[in-house]
Amino acid sequence: MSLHVIMFSLLAILAIATGVLLVTRRNPVSAAVSLILHFFALSGLYLTLNAQFLAAVQILVYAGAIMVLVVFVIMLLNLGKEQNMRENFNPRTAITIAMSAALIMQLVLTFTGNPTGKNQLSAASEKIGSPAEIGNILYSTYIFPFEAISLLLLVAVVGSIILAKRTVDK
Amino acid sequence: MVQDLLFTAPFTFLSVMAIIAMVLDALIVNSSRITFIFSAITLLFSGILGISTFGLHGIGFNGMVTGGGFAAYFDILFSIGGLLTILTSRQYLQRENIEHDEFYSLVLFAVAGMMLIAHSNHLLILFIGIEVMSVSFYILSGYMRNNAKSVESSLKYFLLGAFATGFLVYGIALIYGSTGSMDYNQIALNINNNALNFPALLPVGVALIVIGLSFKAAAFPFHQWAPDVYQGAPTIVTAFMSTAGKAAAFAAFIPIVTVLMPSAPVKLQMIFAVMSAATMLIGNISALAQTNIKRMLAFSSVAHAGYIMMGLVSGSQYGYSGIVFYLTAYMFMQIGSFIIVAILERNGEKYLELSDYAGLSKRHPVLAAFMTIFMFSLAGIPPFAGFFGKYFLFTAAIDAGFLWLTLVGVLSSIISVYFYIGLIVKMYFTEPEGQREDNEVGMSGLSLIITIAGVIVLGILPSGILSIASNLFNSTH
Amino acid sequence: MVELIYLVPLLPLIGFLIIGFFGKKLNNEKLVGAIASIAVGGAFLVALGAFLQLTGESSEARTEHIVRLFTWIQAGSFHIDIAYQVDQLSILYTLIITGIGTLIHIYSIGYMHGDKSFPRFFAYLNLFVFMMLNLVLANNFVLTFLGWEGVGLCSYLLIGFWYDRKFEGSHIVWTGDAAKKAFIVNRIGDFGVLIAMCLIYMRFGSLEYTTVNMAAASGGIDAGLITAITLLLFLGCTGKSAQIPLGIWLPDAMAGPTPVSALIHAATMVTAGIFLIARNSTLFALSDTTMAIITGVGITTALIAATIGIVQNDIKKVLAYSTVSQLGFMFMALGVGAYTAAVFHVMTHAFFKALLFLGSGSVIHGMHEEQDIQKMGGLKKYMPQTYITFLLGTIAISGIFPFSGFFSKDEILWNAYANGSPILWGAGVLAAFCTAFYMFRLLYLTFYGEERFDHHHVHPHESPVTMTLPLWILAILSVFGGLLGIPKALSGGADINILEHWLEPIFANANSILASHHTNAHHHSLALEWGLMAASLAIAIIGILYAASLYKKSSSKPAEMAAKNKGLYNILWNKYFVDEIYHNVFVAPMYKISLDFLWKIVDVQIIDGIVNGSARAIAVSAENLRKIQSGIAQNYALMMLFGIVAIIAWMVFA
Repeated sequence: MSLHVIMFSLLAILAIATGVLLVTRRNPVSAAVSLILHFFALSGLYLTLNAQFLAAVQILVYAGAIMVLVVFVIMLLNLGKEQNMRENFNPRTAITIAMSAALIMQLVLTFTGNPTGKNQLSAASEKIGSPAEIGNILYSTYIFPFEAISLLLLVAVVGSIILAKRTVDK
Repeated sequence: MVQDLLFTAPFTFLSVMAIIAMVLDALIVNSSRITFIFSAITLLFSGILGISTFGLHGIGFNGMVTGGGFAAYFDILFSIGGLLTILTSRQYLQRENIEHDEFYSLVLFAVAGMMLIAHSNHLLILFIGIEVMSVSFYILSGYMRNNAKSVESSLKYFLLGAFATGFLVYGIALIYGSTGSMDYNQIALNINNNALNFPALLPVGVALIVIGLSFKAAAFPFHQWAPDVYQGAPTIVTAFMSTAGKAAAFAAFIPIVTVLMPSAPVKLQMIFAVMSAATMLIGNISALAQTNIKRMLAFSSVAHAGYIMMGLVSGSQYGYSGIVFYLTAYMFMQIGSFIIVAILERNGEKYLELSDYAGLSKRHPVLAAFMTIFMFSLAGIPPFAGFFGKYFLFTAAIDAGFLWLTLVGVLSSIISVYFYIGLIVKMYFTEPEGQREDNEVGMSGLSLIITIAGVIVLGILPSGILSIASNLFNSTH
Repeated sequence: MVELIYLVPLLPLIGFLIIGFFGKKLNNEKLVGAIASIAVGGAFLVALGAFLQLTGESSEARTEHIVRLFTWIQAGSFHIDIAYQVDQLSILYTLIITGIGTLIHIYSIGYMHGDKSFPRFFAYLNLFVFMMLNLVLANNFVLTFLGWEGVGLCSYLLIGFWYDRKFEGSHIVWTGDAAKKAFIVNRIGDFGVLIAMCLIYMRFGSLEYTTVNMAAASGGIDAGLITAITLLLFLGCTGKSAQIPLGIWLPDAMAGPTPVSALIHAATMVTAGIFLIARNSTLFALSDTTMAIITGVGITTALIAATIGIVQNDIKKVLAYSTVSQLGFMFMALGVGAYTAAVFHVMTHAFFKALLFLGSGSVIHGMHEEQDIQKMGGLKKYMPQTYITFLLGTIAISGIFPFSGFFSKDEILWNAYANGSPILWGAGVLAAFCTAFYMFRLLYLTFYGEERFDHHHVHPHESPVTMTLPLWILAILSVFGGLLGIPKALSGGADINILEHWLEPIFANANSILASHHTNAHHHSLALEWGLMAASLAIAIIGILYAASLYKKSSSKPAEMAAKNKGLYNILWNKYFVDEIYHNVFVAPMYKISLDFLWKIVDVQIIDGIVNGSARAIAVSAENLRKIQSGIAQNYALMMLFGIVAIIAWMVFA
């Protein structure tokens, strides 16, 4: 087993574990911390995939900027433990777990197949990790989606402002 | 580059104008009137741009987008949908006291997102388009912030929409992993040549993409959000979402199905057939028991997604042109009926019960007559637009060997007649109860006239749109 | 004149538009009535001109008049014209529709006098005529279908015309409900036609009658497909022409004003089914299965409706069941390949049934909207003109020589014997016996015997001349109309059956196909034909005499008989429980599923419970609301999860 595989497995397990913790923790701060750990694990996965720039951005933007915001919000709103959200065990939970398990089983069974080796990634894309290469591609091949995504972000910003505005002023 | 920009001209124009509209809001006090006119003119021009780029044909921005033909047709359709929405909305928003300027910009953004979907030739563009549209919808449906139902519908839509988006993205990733590309043409090529990097991933990817798009189209079993959201959202937003939004979902479906169908034709056909049948039946049977007109129309909208899906089953250009025709017809008849609902509705969700329509023919003979025509058209009765739509879709399904599906379609159509006619009976054959405020028609009148003209012209002279619709698929595929 | 055939539908359309838009402003009943009547009368004159031109041509040339107005739909290979096909069959129907239509329009001016929606009535009536003319004149299925749906729509509007009146029917309270029932039942059949059209287009690549029937005649078509197409078309016919299993709407359609019953539910629209089959006789001739089913359905309907008619007490309902029964007769004729006989009966039936309905309208009018024949009696002296015309119509429908009904009914019965079987003939004669019986029962109860109405409130009076004039014209037609189709047996071998010659080229293909299917056709002797004719005539007369003995003088005999055969009487009185069966098997469960499951469980409990709850909850507690909301979205998500797992399973593991 190569070092690559060992690294991948460790990070993947970490990512899944923190993901589960994120959902199951009732204390919002511990959930947030789980999320930060999850982002770190993801960024490690990117590194194993030769995507250094993405890994760095992942930590900077998500683990850094966004999570700081999230923690701030939690503090400002003074969220307590979500005791009220606790649900008694009911049939729906059981069915949901069963169905999710079925879905995961399906995916696992699918992924046990073997790649054929056709359509290998090109040599150029091996270098995708470098900022220069990403910049190049973003501003040439992917210029249109790059610009289009800005529209998406704008809509999202506008939307959150509208929904969050305290009073109806007009 | 000029060519590329030309291909996406309606989209580019619209997004720039949407941003300008927002800036106008910020700079001018009490700008709602200006923004209203500005947005209406913008949509008019984006429609005209759509018409003028219709003759083009090709792929731009490094294979990211297609231009002309199919995409341009949908550009026009979305512009019309947006325009009808905006024309109707001012009065409605003022009455409901929720006229904020961003409303119009958000409609523009939503239309821009739909255009991206129609133009996409790359899964990335498809995804961005769907998200731009959906995020705008999430906000628009929660626009009545003082109304619990509206907020609830927004939140519900957002939660479930995000859930569905997750599967869509996963599907895109799996397709990429399997075929090594996100470009439609390349994917099609690799599938047809069986040059797959990881064949086992492909069917799962295909399934997940179909699931993600079915959610947007509100097809069974991914339809349950639709009645709630459509009922809770402001009426004009519902009109917009349930027509243009559905059209966008199928504008995404058609090229995707064309590309992916060869990977598992029989299975995919069966999926669409079963989904279509179940959607038609459940939508129509549920609509039968509704007493709230918005909810009834919402369920009927679900049912119509089922009819339209029959066109996908065939996987032929005949079916696709049937879809395009039906979407066009559906746009007019569904928006039209919602406009009437919006005109009669009063704050606090008054006058939304079917019983409030008793004797409408006495109070508003013209509105009642228009509503009757829309209902007949929705029920598929000639000579209105809905009839030919159904005819072509039914024929396409039979053509593909799915006679049973057509029979289910017919059965559910018969069920649907029951509630469509029920409304007409209410309007014409019962006496009005109690006094009612006067209803101003105002600018909504203009959109009503456009929709009624659309329904009648498409019914009496369907050839024009029909030959355009069938040519869309002759040249490109 | 044939080139001007577009004027025939156009004139009523113009009438409809004028009255529809300006009727209220005109505010003048006479003017509105005149416009409507002139529109239809003008159409009749144009049709008459075209007809006269056709009579001057050789029989082959007659079938080739297709007047193309403009292209309606042109998309790829799909091509539909607005085009009218003028031939022997369509012109005959056109004459019946516009001719009787004109009379009924004139009649309605008197009948509807003083109604608050007088212009609306005439607008609908003109629209109906327009649609009906499109139905019969069309040269393709799509245009016919447009007319087909259009007449259904007008029928619906006119049945519910007096929407504020109550109407007694099974599971029906208001006239609006009757209209709705008629519309929905018809739609079931219409969708059959729609699918048939899809199949025809796929097999023949065209929807024009000439092309399709030509291709069908040249053979080589899968028998199963033809059977499917014809059965689906026939399903549509059972809806429109009120046959089993979709016949339940017609008696309830009597909720409409009486002229409507005469025009739409007796003379024209309900015979559209016969028209569709006659128009596509070649297609139908190719499928023995379909022909057998048509025969079976026809004779069964004829018998069932005739027996139900015996116990009805509403004057219009008796006539409604009689119509259903007569239509069954026509279908039986089609089923045994006697197309001419069927069309012949359509014509004579249009005469006498329109007459009877208008006569009943005159009675109802004179009796201040009373329809129950138990509350009439002795009206002979109050309304002599109505009485005499009604009597003539009754004799005609009972099939007494030499009235029109005799010839058409006899031709059908003879064909039922010759091409069918003696049993079929026997069943037909039985139905004819019932017809004679209940028609004379109706006549006697209405016009003879003691006066059972309330003299203080009801003062029977004769109707105005606008109403009696059409009665007389129709009476004359009912008496002499049969002379167009005198059978060989009665003319001493001379070939003077005008109608048969007239229609021969239309049914030539179908007849040759049928002949090739039945190579061992028997040749029956003239004596046999005479004998059967005499037998059926005698049985009809017995029916009349039996009715006379029971009902001519008021007596308690009928009530005693009903009491003695209570079981049978109940079955007949409840119309064989067909309505109940339909209601319990189809309508109720559908509502139940929708209401109990989808509505009460899925909607009320899960969705609405939460939505309604949420409004309250928002005031009470934000936490509560959040909990409820997330609960519901989870349910939806779970449903989606089911879908996802199922689809992936199907895609990957199936």
